[in-house]
Amino acid sequence: MVALRQISEQRDFAVSSASLKDVRSFSREVFEKVNIDQDLKDELVLAIAEAAQNIVKHAYQGEDTDDKMEIKISLNNGELEIGFFDKGRPVDEKNVRHRKIDDVKPGGLGTFFIQQIMDAVVFKEGEKPWINHLILTKKINY
Amino acid sequence: MSYKVTEEGDISIVHLDGEIDMDVTEKAKEIIMPLIEAKKEVHLNLKEVQYMDSSGISVLIESHQKANEMGKKVILKDISKSVLKVIMMAKLEQILNLG
Repeated sequence: MVALRQISEQRDFAVSSASLKDVRSFSREVFEKVNIDQDLKDELVLAIAEAAQNIVKHAYQGEDTDDKMEIKISLNNGELEIGFFDKGRPVDEKNVRHRKIDDVKPGGLGTFFIQQIMDAVVFKEGEKPWINHLILTKKINY
Repeated sequence: MSYKVTEEGDISIVHLDGEIDMDVTEKAKEIIMPLIEAKKEVHLNLKEVQYMDSSGISVLIESHQKANEMGKKVILKDISKSVLKVIMMAKLEQILNLG
C-alpha cells in the first residue's frame, strides 16, 4: 500500500459511549494510510477517542440524543488537523482543565492525555449547524 | 470487553480481555468492586487488554483506592504494552501496584 501524505476524511457518529469503538475504528482506518509509526498512531487514536468521549460526557452530559457528532481528520504537508463538531452545550474553555496530575483521583485524565499527545488544542464556536468546534493539531514527521 | 474470574485462596484473579473505554467501565466496576468489598486481594490480568482510555484508568484508580480503604491490594498483572503506556502517560506507575 502506498502511504498517503495528504488526507481529508470525515465521518458522523451517534453521540453515545457505544460509538467510541466506531470512532477508534475510523481513526485507525485513516492512520493506516499514513506512514507514521504504530506508537504515534495509537496515541492519536487515544487523543481522538478522548475528545469524542468529552463530547458525550460534557457537551451532552451523558444524555440520550439523536444528534450526531462529526470528526474530520486532515493531513496536509505534515500538519495533522483533527476537527470535532457537535451540537451540545457550548464549551466554556475556562472550564476545560485537566486535573493536577499528582492529585490521584478518578476522572480528569482525558484532557491531560489530549494535551500530552497533541501540539495544540483550540476551541471555537461552531459554524451553523454546529455549536462547538474543537481543533487538535500536530506536526507529523513522515 | 469480556472477562473471567478465577480464585486462588484469598486471591481473586480477574482476566480482562478487549478494549476498556467509557462504554464498559460500569461493567468493569461491577466485576471488580464486589471482590474488593469481599476483602479479597484482587489481581487484574491485563495481558489481553488491547486498548484502555482515561475511563479505564479511572477504574484502576478507583479499585486501587477502594482496596487501600479495605486494607487490601489490587495488583495489575501481565500488563499489555498499550495499557502500560497509558498508565505511564498518566504517571501512575509509582502509584498503582504493578506486579
